[in-house]
Amino acid sequence: MSDNKFTFVQLEESASEHIASPQYSYWKSVFRKFFSSKLAIFMLIVAFSVLLIAFIQPIFSKYNPTIMPHINDRTMKYIRPNATYWFGTDDVGNSLFDAVWAGTKNSLIISLIATAITTVLGVIVGMFWGYSKKMDQIMIQIYNVFANIPFTLLVMVLMYTFGQGMAQLIFALSVTSWLGTAYFIRVQVMIIRDREYNLASRCLGTPTHRILKQNVLPYLVSVIVTAISRDVPLFISYEVFLSFIGVGLSQKEASLGGMIQKYSVYLQSASYLFWIPVCISAFISVSFYIVGQTLADASDPRTHMV
Amino acid sequence: MKKYIINRVIRSILAILLVVSIAIVMLFTMISRTLVFEQDATIKKLSGDKRTIYAYNKWEDLGYLDFEQMSAMCKEESKDFGSCMITGSDENNRVVSLYKDKGYTIQYLNDGTPFASRDYTALELISKFYSRLIKIDNPTFVKDEDNKDLKRGYSIGLDHNNLPAIMCSGCEYQYQLYVDGKFPFIHQNIFRLDFGHSFPTSQGIPTIDVISTGQGKTVNKQVKFPSGNVSKSAVDLHTCKYKASSTLDHLDKNKFNNNYANCQSNYDSPSMISTSYMFGILSILLSYLIALPAGMYMARKKGKWQDKVGIAYINFLIAVPSLAFIYFVKLLGQGFGLPDKFPQLGYGNIKSYILPILILALLQTAGLMTWIRRYMVDQSNADYVKFAKAKGLSQREIFNRHILKNAILPIVNGIPASIILAISGSVITESVFAIPGMGKMLPDAIKSYNNNMVITLTFIFTSLSIFSLLFGDLLMIFIDPRIQLSTKGGTR
Repeated sequence: MSDNKFTFVQLEESASEHIASPQYSYWKSVFRKFFSSKLAIFMLIVAFSVLLIAFIQPIFSKYNPTIMPHINDRTMKYIRPNATYWFGTDDVGNSLFDAVWAGTKNSLIISLIATAITTVLGVIVGMFWGYSKKMDQIMIQIYNVFANIPFTLLVMVLMYTFGQGMAQLIFALSVTSWLGTAYFIRVQVMIIRDREYNLASRCLGTPTHRILKQNVLPYLVSVIVTAISRDVPLFISYEVFLSFIGVGLSQKEASLGGMIQKYSVYLQSASYLFWIPVCISAFISVSFYIVGQTLADASDPRTHMV
Repeated sequence: MKKYIINRVIRSILAILLVVSIAIVMLFTMISRTLVFEQDATIKKLSGDKRTIYAYNKWEDLGYLDFEQMSAMCKEESKDFGSCMITGSDENNRVVSLYKDKGYTIQYLNDGTPFASRDYTALELISKFYSRLIKIDNPTFVKDEDNKDLKRGYSIGLDHNNLPAIMCSGCEYQYQLYVDGKFPFIHQNIFRLDFGHSFPTSQGIPTIDVISTGQGKTVNKQVKFPSGNVSKSAVDLHTCKYKASSTLDHLDKNKFNNNYANCQSNYDSPSMISTSYMFGILSILLSYLIALPAGMYMARKKGKWQDKVGIAYINFLIAVPSLAFIYFVKLLGQGFGLPDKFPQLGYGNIKSYILPILILALLQTAGLMTWIRRYMVDQSNADYVKFAKAKGLSQREIFNRHILKNAILPIVNGIPASIILAISGSVITESVFAIPGMGKMLPDAIKSYNNNMVITLTFIFTSLSIFSLLFGDLLMIFIDPRIQLSTKGGTR
């Protein structure tokens, strides 16, 4: 051991200034976590392809349930699924493939718009509701009145008064469910409202809307994603249910629920007419739900620790 | 505590009134009123003036508007009835313009006769509904010109089954309070709810009777009538109403020794309300029987494969549209030879009940299992559990004897609410199986534009759900006295 085996190292000023911590990016971690689940990737592909087909296929097929070119052609009716008609043909000779995707498109539009309205309104109101004690006193009374009424009943009465149609259905679904989302958010906000960092922000004079946007909203991301992943299948389920009992979309508009209702009489004779729309609606709901749940889990920073 | 309950009850009643009022205003002002005739057979046979008058009379019956024909206007406002009735005369014009000033709209029939109508305002609609909602039977009820020396008053006596009953003479119903073998054993006719008449389906029958009287065929039994006559008949003597003397026929006189001869019949099938209740309560029992052990087992095996299977089942139920699930279970059931529609085998056969009850129960298990598992898992980290573990108790003992007792509380709280949910949530199951219950009645009423029926069902469902939440809270205090609902000071 002699001194000549050692060499002097230059002192690096910049390296000592650098804090040695692992690189962390929130959204990168979210997506890493999300794509580590094979089931979620598979369901994402399913959901994406359903979305694509549902929005593109009707553009080419131009399906309209009121146009029945083959209504007098007996050979065109009730053709079982085959190479030309992938899903077969229905009771008036139209291709079920076109009908199903047109219906899926309508169901998806309703569900996605209603979810968007519900979430945006629910989150904004819910955040102020949870943060301000004065607002809480008023809102909780309103909530007590409306939360106790069966949701089904409210939607049905609303659809009855406004009549059948897509805009009406979106309105009825959003107007009855935003309060539930707002309440859900309120509880979450109340939990973190009085944490030290919020108290500190308030002491330093940060305005309420800024505290909500900068301190509270990021904390709510996983909660909001959970709510969305629950709402999308729920609204699809409601569209199916309402059209089935005859208060959703009218027969002039293609819808999964209306199709299921119309073809439930063929359960014995031409069961594919009934089961294909049922399976499609189940496919959409399950894929959206699983993608949403996995995304919600992934967006919770506590799961990012390796 | 008392103060809290009173406060809560008042709030609940206000909530019901608010919701029903909103529903009334919406239904009566926003839906086109010509739609009520969509399924009415009578109006299709009429044309011209007769049709107009029929429509306006019906609308007045249903509570849309106040309708006055020329004769009614003249009777009300004119001293000279004869000249008032001549169209175009000064007196006629004076009365018509008088009504115009009162806010009525004047329209003319094809023959030129004017008539007046005035739509009720939202406030009038609501006040009309509530003013007739609760009817209290009293001895001054009967107003019969032909029977002026009718005795009025209450008496206690024995009914035709020799059971004690409070009877009334002069009331609408003869039996005010009576006992019989049917649930809930003590019945009353003193307070009745009046929601108006059903139209266009079940025309002329009060909506509350449509859903609360039996269905199906009438059942004949040996009945001993008040006059002493014994014969086979379907009448239920407890439901007899006063019948005006002018309408009594000799058959009535043979059977009855007073005017209480307008009776309802006994039916072989239960009413819509009882049907829905029966299905609701049986399915609740079944769902708790399935969900309670399953949720407990999942909590005990938290993180193991048993738990994961349970979570997969819950997610499946949440994600799949309930309609798809119902048809899926129905298809499985048909494989076992169960009927796919309730009326196929009807009330008498137990096979008709299995599938609907199973489906209703399974639909609820997802929510119940989630909560039961959640509560049990939360409790299993409590200090008393660690202590029990330290004492050397087995996992099974800790779960069944200690955790369950604490975790059961929120579950008990939810029981009344789930009974209600079972009743109102059965809309879809009842529609799929064609079960003649209240749940199926709601979409049926909506499709036939039966406004009064929709309001009746809204009232029933809303009050059921609001009061069930109250009972759930009270049940919780009853089981665990440590819980206090009213907050004392220090609130934030």
